[in-house]
Amino acid sequence: MKEHDIERMVASIYHQREEPMSRRSWLRAAGLGFGSLGLSALLADEHSVMAMPQVQNPLAPKAPHNPAKAKRVIFLFMHGGPSSIDTFDPKERLDREDGKPLPFKRPLSFDNKNDAGPLMKSPWKFRPGGKSGIPVSDLFPHVRDCVDDLCIIRSMVGEGVDHGAALLQTFTGTSTFIRPSMGSWTVYGLGTENQNLPGFIAIKPSLAHGGAKNWSSAFLPGAYQGTAIGHAGLKVDDIKGEPIEYLINKRFSTDQQRFELDMLQNINRRHEALRQNDPQLEARIQAFELAFRMQAEAPEAFQVDKESETTKKLYGLDNPATQDFGWQCLLARRLAERGVRFIQCTHSYKWDQHSELFNGHTRNAREVDKPIAGLLRDLKSRGLLDDTLVIWAGEFGRTPVSQGGDGRDHNPYGYSIWMAGGGVKPGFVYGATDEIGYHAVEDRMHIHDFHATVLALLGLEHDRLTYRYSGRDFRLTDVAGVVANKILS
Amino acid sequence: MPANRQMLKKFSLLIFFILGSAVLLTPRVMTQQAVAGGSTEQVEFFEKKIRPVLMNNCAACHNPDAKIAGLDLTTAEGFRGGGESGPLIDRQNPENSRLLKVVGYEEKLKMPPTGKLREDELVDLAAWVKMGAPWPASNLSSTPHAAETKVVNGVKSSTREFTPDERAYWAFQPVRSVKPPEVSDNAWVRTPVDAFILHKLEGNKLSPAQEADKHTLLRRATLDLTGLPPTEAEMHAFLADQSPDAFAKVVDRLLASPRYGEKWGRNWLDVARYADSTGNDEDHRYPNAWRYRDYVISSFNNDLPYDQFLREQLAGDLIPAKRPGEVNRQGITATGFLALGPKAIAQQDKKKMLYDVYDEQLDVTTRAFMGLTVACSRCHNHKFDPILTRDYYSIVGIFAGTRSFSDPMAFVSESLNKPLVTKSEYDAWLAAKKAHQEKAKRRQLEIGEIVDAAKERMAARQTDRLAEYMLSARNVHINKAESNSLAETQGLDPAILEKWVKYLNPDNIKQHLLVWKNSEAASINQVAGDYEKRFLAQLSKWNETLSAWRVKYRQALKDGTELPDKPGFDGGKDRFFDEIYFRKGPFSVTQEDKHRFTPGEIKRIAELKAELENLKKEAPPEPEMACAVEDGDVVEQKVFIRGDYHNEGEEAPKAAPAILAEKTGPLPEVKTGSGRLELAQWLTRPDHPLTARVMVNRIWQWHFGDGIVRTPDNFGKMGERPTHPELLDYLAARFIQSGWSIKSMHRLIMLSSAYRMSSEVSAQALAADQENKLLTRFNRRRLTVEEMRDGVLALSGDLDLTMGGTLQEGTGTDGENDNKRLSLNPELLTRRTVYLPLRRANLPTLLNLFDFGDATAPSGKRQLTNVATQALFWMNSEFLTEATKKIARALPQEKQSDVAARIQSAYRRILGRPASLDEIKTGHGYLEDFRRKYPIEEPAHASWQSFCRILIASNDFVYVD
Repeated sequence: MKEHDIERMVASIYHQREEPMSRRSWLRAAGLGFGSLGLSALLADEHSVMAMPQVQNPLAPKAPHNPAKAKRVIFLFMHGGPSSIDTFDPKERLDREDGKPLPFKRPLSFDNKNDAGPLMKSPWKFRPGGKSGIPVSDLFPHVRDCVDDLCIIRSMVGEGVDHGAALLQTFTGTSTFIRPSMGSWTVYGLGTENQNLPGFIAIKPSLAHGGAKNWSSAFLPGAYQGTAIGHAGLKVDDIKGEPIEYLINKRFSTDQQRFELDMLQNINRRHEALRQNDPQLEARIQAFELAFRMQAEAPEAFQVDKESETTKKLYGLDNPATQDFGWQCLLARRLAERGVRFIQCTHSYKWDQHSELFNGHTRNAREVDKPIAGLLRDLKSRGLLDDTLVIWAGEFGRTPVSQGGDGRDHNPYGYSIWMAGGGVKPGFVYGATDEIGYHAVEDRMHIHDFHATVLALLGLEHDRLTYRYSGRDFRLTDVAGVVANKILS
Repeated sequence: MPANRQMLKKFSLLIFFILGSAVLLTPRVMTQQAVAGGSTEQVEFFEKKIRPVLMNNCAACHNPDAKIAGLDLTTAEGFRGGGESGPLIDRQNPENSRLLKVVGYEEKLKMPPTGKLREDELVDLAAWVKMGAPWPASNLSSTPHAAETKVVNGVKSSTREFTPDERAYWAFQPVRSVKPPEVSDNAWVRTPVDAFILHKLEGNKLSPAQEADKHTLLRRATLDLTGLPPTEAEMHAFLADQSPDAFAKVVDRLLASPRYGEKWGRNWLDVARYADSTGNDEDHRYPNAWRYRDYVISSFNNDLPYDQFLREQLAGDLIPAKRPGEVNRQGITATGFLALGPKAIAQQDKKKMLYDVYDEQLDVTTRAFMGLTVACSRCHNHKFDPILTRDYYSIVGIFAGTRSFSDPMAFVSESLNKPLVTKSEYDAWLAAKKAHQEKAKRRQLEIGEIVDAAKERMAARQTDRLAEYMLSARNVHINKAESNSLAETQGLDPAILEKWVKYLNPDNIKQHLLVWKNSEAASINQVAGDYEKRFLAQLSKWNETLSAWRVKYRQALKDGTELPDKPGFDGGKDRFFDEIYFRKGPFSVTQEDKHRFTPGEIKRIAELKAELENLKKEAPPEPEMACAVEDGDVVEQKVFIRGDYHNEGEEAPKAAPAILAEKTGPLPEVKTGSGRLELAQWLTRPDHPLTARVMVNRIWQWHFGDGIVRTPDNFGKMGERPTHPELLDYLAARFIQSGWSIKSMHRLIMLSSAYRMSSEVSAQALAADQENKLLTRFNRRRLTVEEMRDGVLALSGDLDLTMGGTLQEGTGTDGENDNKRLSLNPELLTRRTVYLPLRRANLPTLLNLFDFGDATAPSGKRQLTNVATQALFWMNSEFLTEATKKIARALPQEKQSDVAARIQSAYRRILGRPASLDEIKTGHGYLEDFRRKYPIEEPAHASWQSFCRILIASNDFVYVD
């Protein structure tokens, strides 16, 4: 049919019509107007749907390889590198030999140009906590009260002596190449439980030291990319309005949006029907429906303000020092509750005390101690801690020798992290560093082993969770990784 | 411990079996085999009993960095390598092993020096040595060809005989000269391409899809070649042109458009993993990478022969300029291909960093040009392809002789920026810059001296009252005394006291103030006195330092020689002094403290500052620079065993991969320099089996959505086989014959009937050819993120078609969580997406969302997804709201009765086709309903804006048939 013919016909129809069409009628017209290719006919034509290669929802929940002990992860990341020997790994020998030279040659450091200072004892006292009596320093009095829930790993080993390498290895397994992050692998392996929220969320992540590569999917499909909620440089108040990019329509009511979406889907259905119901077109139609539900339901997940005053206090939201990380922790709990698979919180780049260890670590710990304890208690009281794995870690620890008189340099050779809930042994200490806290010597847990263990807790076998890229099967643990069975409850 | 003994027994049996069955294996291979065949018990014994002993007692000195006595006890290789005094293990008589004697304190040398090991540890070690000291590598990987390892002159070699199958692998065979096959339906054959496609279809009793209608074809071709939708005028012209070569004219027009280079240049930039910063750790900007991007765009626009394009990207700096004495600007710029990759520049193991960079350069080179994953051979021979570790290091040696850094050894390594002017021009600029900096420095130093003079005047009167200030501040804190009146009664400077009050705030948690904070009233005077004493001692030392400098400074001023840098105080030496005397502390003076200066001083500072401002304008402009590489010192590369540079193996002279050299002959002899030019020459040999095939396959894929080989960056065994091998060879041969002309490939492909097929598929074809490997129809595809964004901007009339240059500002990196770390937001800009700078560590959200990729590795094919977060963009983004407002307003402004015509116009503009009768009816109904339901909206436009947004968000717009 020639164009001018169509126009002529349209004009005649237009003039014949007396009443404006109701919404119902244009929807109906869309369906009926299709003749033999009508919508209803096509929907019934299963054969054509069957024949096309199907497009799977990449985020649909998938069964793990083994029964999972943890269904989700909350990773509390302390950017900058908190000192283990000042927090979770007491070293008596350092107290005794304060000011004495390092008894062996210093391994590769971050600052190799200046000669390292002597051994420096911790300015904080360690005290036993809980029934387990596991010692925690005075930097973390609130967390110490929860120590019976912690599984402290004192023998972490990484390879990067600079922040970038260490962050990338912590989150992606390698500092040499850009690879998918732990959260992306997890969602790739397990999908996610709540389709109205992203499966992998990074709350206020750092832009530095790898930036988005620390929550990116790299060569995995983009659907497994972490969704950032603001970034570390923003204030919570600047994020609350629109936590996820494009989530909020600033102009229309839901009703009006649905009205518009109905028309869009009508056009899309018509288009799809003329194209043998090509599944990639169907996938995009479904994506719009999902997005519509997401924008209706996701904002509620971010409404931390709706929590009770008691809960807010528990996380330290009433105190300016703790309210930022408290908000992150409380949001993490809300997201965990709603089935988000992998959640990262970041205490932004503050722990890097090359100098003034005392002031810096005091301030930092004050900002996170109460919120973290609040999170642990809250998860526990809601019964969520059983299947939520909480991880507390920096990218490395710090040296037992001083730097610049009153600071400590980076130390990836032996440092502490802890986990709680989700299938790890509570009130347990795993591994050990040498007498001064420089090298991990017992039950060393390389970052690859850490990743293998986290995946194991999620029911995933790290050597079976692979993705074929560039002719090779890749995995989070590269060609390494041993699950630390001793810490599994 | 019976359980343990039983385990050991199993363990030794296993070792026995292996020793007995493979006597010739080297120890390294043996342990690998042992572990590969063994159980986790073995790993557990070593990890539980042995490694902790070694780590706990030995590793502090015997690690790869310290390597005291040449010994590294942290790795299997290190252990086996022994120390300066020989091997640790005696395999014939394990009890006599040196290791056991030393730890047993049996000889003069006793280890560890801090005390003998515990008895049980010694027993474990002895048991382990007896077993042959198996050391399971934690990053173990089995190498299928390990058994074939040869030993040449005492060094393990990775070379081996290739199998007949490996030699016969399709991609290594020379490109065949193929004639288009005979087909029955000759009418369908427009270009020889069609004969190949149709031949295969006929063989499968299938027929090609109908020809696409003209609207579809024009939209397809226009997006394909330019990345933009066709305009209404272009559509009219094409529809009106009834001549048989109407489409050929369109293709020619599109190929001649500068927009072509922007689209196809972007395709290549994916392969070249282009971005404007180092990514990885510090994400420093590449301030000149954009010149490479512009080079790529203009190369496509000018149809630069691909062999030259390839040679320039690898070795353009080594190709002489057209005219003698000039600089080959284009060639130097092209080497940005090697230079702009991701780099871990804060890595402190600088040798590792450099070899990671060479690895990255090798990877992008071999995958982009040959479709081979040579980088997989870094640690062991390639698992699937006949690529040897030695092949890897033979190419790495070429990059190791190439410089990508101006200062690799810097704390944060500095990337190379290469002048695009002659050396003499550049040197003249350096001299001018130095002279200019000296002028500025003289003024800055003078300002500093005026400020210091004022500070020293103040200090002379105040610093010996430091204790009084501290005590008064305490008085304010504890007794709530009023600061100003206290100052008055004490005869203290009120401004200074106020600073002290602030500084000594009890909430301040500085360690060097703890003594002060925790002192009792009884001792407080004493403590304050101590603080004062230490301060004054430090001050007098500092003044000496300054005086010594001043002598030199004044002399240099007099002589007119280079001025010495003024010393700065190292805060780590004395935090208290640093915070009091500098950093706006109580006893510091800065330019802002006007009352500390004489009128003459104030005037002079103002003059100097004005001069500095003027000087800024006079700064000699930097010559144009490129993000590029250059030849460095020649490196005689050796194989690094298991990729570890501490562990050198056989020599790896510069060479082409052996399996390919068998077909093409060797790399031209590298007489001088890095060998990059020779590598480029070898790659562009007309008989190279991969170069032309890989590129024509890329071109085919960028047209059809899928390549003839569907893994464009991997032609190896793990890649896919060609669906149409004869066609691939035909195209490759034609490509070379055409003088490597990419545009002639476009014509050959696009003028075919295959390219004109509809994307509609018959039930029969769908059943027989689900994945469209036979090409029964054209592949429907989603728009790329560039096509979406640029297309919307084109429709709204906002698209800025300025070409080239950069929007990136600054150098280096930014504060850790500064917004400047983010890439510029594409939604706030109007240039074509290809021109937006990319901060590699933080790519724009929009690009991440729509599958741009991550710009860190060569990517010949984007993986396009459909997820809800993308739909949110179409529903809610302000970018679309603004754009659709403009699009709606630009529709013909006519009377209400011409709604149908406006709907038609919206369809034609946005979707490149007329609306059907149904669509007009439906659209009309929607607009009417909208106005009735939402009458408060701005008349007319709101409903039209909504309608336009719907069309733009629809699959009709987002997919190309």
